[in-house]
Amino acid sequence: MATFTGVGSHSSLLPVSAKPSRTRSGHRRASVLVRNAISVEKKSLKLDKSEEIFTAAKELLPGGVNSPVRAFRSVGGQPIVFDSVKGSRMWDVDGNEYIDYVGSWGPAIIGHADDKVNAALIETLKKGTSFGAPCLLENTLAEAVIAAVPSVEMVRFVNSGTEACMGALRLARAFTSREKIIKFEGCYHGHADPFLVKAGSGVATLGLPDSPGVPKAATSETLTAPYNDIDAVKLLFKSNKGEIAAVILEPVVGNAGFITPKPDFLNALREITKENGTLLIFDEVMTGFRLAYGGAQEYFNITPDLTTMGKVIGGGLPVGAYGGRREIMEMVAPAGPMYQAGTLSGNPLAMTAGIHTLKRLTEPGCYEYLDNITGQLVNGILDAGKRTGHEMCGGHIRGMFGFFFTSGPVYNFEDAKKSDTGKFARFHRGMLEEGVYFAPSQFEAGFTSLAHTSKDIELTVEAAEKVLKRI
Amino acid sequence: MATFTGVGSHSSLLPVSAKPSRTRSGHRRASVLVRNAISVEKKSLKLDKSEEIFTAAKELLPGGVNSPVRAFRSVGGQPIVFDSVKGSRMWDVDGNEYIDYVGSWGPAIIGHADDKVNAALIETLKKGTSFGAPCLLENTLAEAVIAAVPSVEMVRFVNSGTEACMGALRLARAFTSREKIIKFEGCYHGHADPFLVKAGSGVATLGLPDSPGVPKAATSETLTAPYNDIDAVKLLFESNKGEIAAVILEPVVGNAGFITPKPDFLNALREITKENGTLLIFDEVMTGFRLAYGGAQEYFNITPDLTTMGKVIGGGLPVGAYGGRREIMEMVAPAGPMYQAGTLSGNPLAMTAGIHTLKRLTEPGCYEYLDNITGQLVNGILDAGKRTGHEMCGGHIRGMFGFFFTSGPVYNFEDAKKSDTGKFARFHRGMLEEGVYFAPSQFEAGFTSLAHTSKDIECTVEAAEKVLKRI
Repeated sequence: MATFTGVGSHSSLLPVSAKPSRTRSGHRRASVLVRNAISVEKKSLKLDKSEEIFTAAKELLPGGVNSPVRAFRSVGGQPIVFDSVKGSRMWDVDGNEYIDYVGSWGPAIIGHADDKVNAALIETLKKGTSFGAPCLLENTLAEAVIAAVPSVEMVRFVNSGTEACMGALRLARAFTSREKIIKFEGCYHGHADPFLVKAGSGVATLGLPDSPGVPKAATSETLTAPYNDIDAVKLLFKSNKGEIAAVILEPVVGNAGFITPKPDFLNALREITKENGTLLIFDEVMTGFRLAYGGAQEYFNITPDLTTMGKVIGGGLPVGAYGGRREIMEMVAPAGPMYQAGTLSGNPLAMTAGIHTLKRLTEPGCYEYLDNITGQLVNGILDAGKRTGHEMCGGHIRGMFGFFFTSGPVYNFEDAKKSDTGKFARFHRGMLEEGVYFAPSQFEAGFTSLAHTSKDIELTVEAAEKVLKRI
Repeated sequence: MATFTGVGSHSSLLPVSAKPSRTRSGHRRASVLVRNAISVEKKSLKLDKSEEIFTAAKELLPGGVNSPVRAFRSVGGQPIVFDSVKGSRMWDVDGNEYIDYVGSWGPAIIGHADDKVNAALIETLKKGTSFGAPCLLENTLAEAVIAAVPSVEMVRFVNSGTEACMGALRLARAFTSREKIIKFEGCYHGHADPFLVKAGSGVATLGLPDSPGVPKAATSETLTAPYNDIDAVKLLFESNKGEIAAVILEPVVGNAGFITPKPDFLNALREITKENGTLLIFDEVMTGFRLAYGGAQEYFNITPDLTTMGKVIGGGLPVGAYGGRREIMEMVAPAGPMYQAGTLSGNPLAMTAGIHTLKRLTEPGCYEYLDNITGQLVNGILDAGKRTGHEMCGGHIRGMFGFFFTSGPVYNFEDAKKSDTGKFARFHRGMLEEGVYFAPSQFEAGFTSLAHTSKDIECTVEAAEKVLKRI
C-alpha cells in the first residue's frame, strides 16, 4: 500500500513563490494518471508544519483561529495552514498544492493574487493605505457599485459584511420607525446580536443554538421563518401587523450550504414587504458580483430596498457595503441622524482592490465562463455520486455552488441538515488528500473563479470519483 | 491684502509622489519667515478639486463620506479630499501640503506609508492578501500582542474597533452570565447598538442624542456614568447588584477630546469590578501601543480583564482585536460557545502591516520621542493661547494629545462641552490655511508619530500663534 508522500504530493509541489501556469497541466495530468493507475487507495497528506503552527496557534487564538469554521471542527482532521495562493491554487506550509473552491469565502472571484490588482495595490500603498479622510477612490468604487447593483442609488462602505448588515439593520429600523425583523433559518448575516438567531455559517457548523452573551432583549424582535416558506412569512406579517421594519435574506443561501429560492419566493417577498411598508433587504455579501455583475437582484430581476455587500467588493481586502434607495440612505450620518462610522472605511487600498476586481468582472464573458465551469464541476460531482451509489443533490448559479449528501431536494435549513455530515467529512478529507480544497463544512457554499480552468474541473471531478468510491 | 495662493501654498507644494525630507526644512523655514514677515492675514486655501470631488461624493455616499466626522460638519468649510500621505505629511487633491495630526485617527504612529512596512506589504500581497484559512502571520502578530499587552494572554483578530468591542461585550456577557454594562458619557466604543448611548466621537461631534434605529431594548442594559466619577459608578453597582457584566472605558479618553483619568480613578474601577465579579474592559483602540508599547494598562499599571485594540495594530489596514485572560477567551468559538466570526479576520496582508508596525515600536526611544515632541506641541499651543488671550487647556500622554477652548480643567464630557466650538472651528480652518491638519472636531484627540520632527512642531506652534492672534 504505497503512500504517495514521495510521488503524489511531490509531483504537485511547487516552490512557494512559483506561479502555476498552463504548461504545468501536462505534468499534472501525468501525475493524475499515475495515481489512477495505482489504486483508489487513500493518499496520505503530510501536514507536519500545519500541525506545528496550528498547535502553537491554539495557545494564542481561541481554538487556534480568527474565525470558527477554519478550525475544521465539523470535518475533523488537521486544519491546514496556508502559505500562499495564486489563481485557483493554494499552497500550504508543507508545500502541498490544492485546487481551491473556497476562494477565501468569496472574494477571490477573479482568482487569487491577480497581477493587475496587485500592481494597482502596490501603486496605491506608496501613497498611503489610509487617510481617515475623503479620497477620490471612494467615489470611483461607489460609482461602480451604483452602476452595477439595481437597488443601489447611494452606498456606504464599511469594513466587513458584519458591519454592513449591522448598518442596514439600524437604517431599516430608523427609516420605518419599527423594530421587528424577519430573517430565515440557516441564513447568516454577520454576528451582530439581532442576527444570532437560527443563524447559518459557523453557528450551524458548530451546532450552536443561540450564542451565549446575546441578551434576550437583543433578539426578541427577530422573527424567523424557514427559507422558501412564504406562508410562514405571511403568518408573521399577520401577527405583527405594522411592526416589521425589514425582511432580510440571502437571495441564494450560501451559509447553510447552497440553497436556491423557489420560483416566485423572492417575488412574493417583494410584494408582501411592499404591501406592508416593510423594507426588503438582500444580503448579497456572498451573491453580489458573483451570480451576475448586478448580483442576485439582477439575476432574478427583483429589486430590494437595501442591499448589503462584502467579499468580492473588497477584492481580497476587508470591505463591506450597504446601499439602496437614496431617500433611505440619506438617513445615514452625517446626511441624517442614523449613526454608523469607521476609521478604515473607504480606505484607498481597499477601494483600489475593489475597483480593479470589479473592472475585471465587467469584461464580457465572465459570468458565462463561471456558469460553464461551475456547471461542469457540480454535474461532474453529482454524476460521480450517482455512479458510486451515494445519495447526493446540489446545484450552481454562475460562480456559486454546493452539494449535499442527501437525496434532497433541499429547500431550507431543515432539509440541509438531513445531509450525512459524517460522509461529508470523509469526502472533505479525501479530497484534501487528492489536492482539492473544499470548505471544511457542509453548511457553506462553494466558489469558483475566472482562474479555474477546465483542467482544474476535470481533475476535481476525477478526484471526486476516486474518493466517492471508497467513502 | 495679498493672498498667498501664489506664494504660500506653492512654496509648500511638492509633487504628489515626492517624499518629504529633512533637507526641505531650510526651505520650509524660509517660507515660514516670509509668511511671518508679511502679516497675520488669513491665507486663502485653494480647494477647487476638493470641492469638485466632494460635491460628486455627496451624490454617491451619505453626506459625501464613509464616516461622519470626515464631512467637517462641526467645523464648517470645505472638507478636504486627500491624494497621498507620507511620514507626517498629507497632500490634498489641489496639491496643498499639511502637517498631519490626525494620523488616520491613530494608525499612522510610525508615520504614513512607512517604507519598511510597504516593502513587507508588497512581498505579502504577491502571496495573496486573504486565505480564509489559518496562516503563520496570525501567530506572529498574536505573539507580539500577547507579549506587549499585560492583560492579554490570548487574542482574537477582527476587522475593526467596532467589531472588537462587539466581541468583547458579547464575551463579557457570556462569561459572567450577566447583561448590564457600564460605559462612560462621551466615550465611544464603535457603533454596535448597546454602545450608542451617550457616545463620543462622531455622535458627540454631530450633537446626536441616541441614534434612531437603535431599539430601546438594545440599550436598556447600558448604564452610564460621567467619566472620572467613581461615586456615580459605586451608586450604579449598588442599585444593580450582581447584574453588571462589565465596565468598559477608554482608559484615556480620545473620543470626547483628550481627557485623562484622575489619579486613582482606574484603580478604583479595578477594585470595584473585582469585588463584584464584573469584568473591567479597557478600550485601547486609541491608546493601545500609543501611550506605551503595552498601552494605557502598562502606562498606568492597571490590568483589566479584557482589552480591545485597533488602529495602530493594523498599521494602516483594517484590523481590530480583543484579548484578555485565557479562561475568558477560551469561551470564544470555536474553543467555546460564544459566536464571533469574520471572513477577512487575520488576513495575511493586515497581519503583515501590524507586525512591522509593532516591530518598529519596539525600537528603543520611541515613546520618549513621542512624549518629547508632543509635549512641545501642546505646551507650545497652550502658551500661544495664553499670549493671545484665549481660554484654553489641554495635555498629552506620549503620542496622544488634545486641547479645548475653555479654561478647564476638563474631567468629563460635560466639561469638554464647555469648549467654545465656534472658536475651535475658526482655529481649525485657520490652521488648515497654514498647512496644518487637525481633526475636524473638538471632540477628537490628536495624534503624533515618529515621523513628526521638531521642525514640524515648530512650524505648527508658530502657525497656531498666528491663527490665535486673529480668531
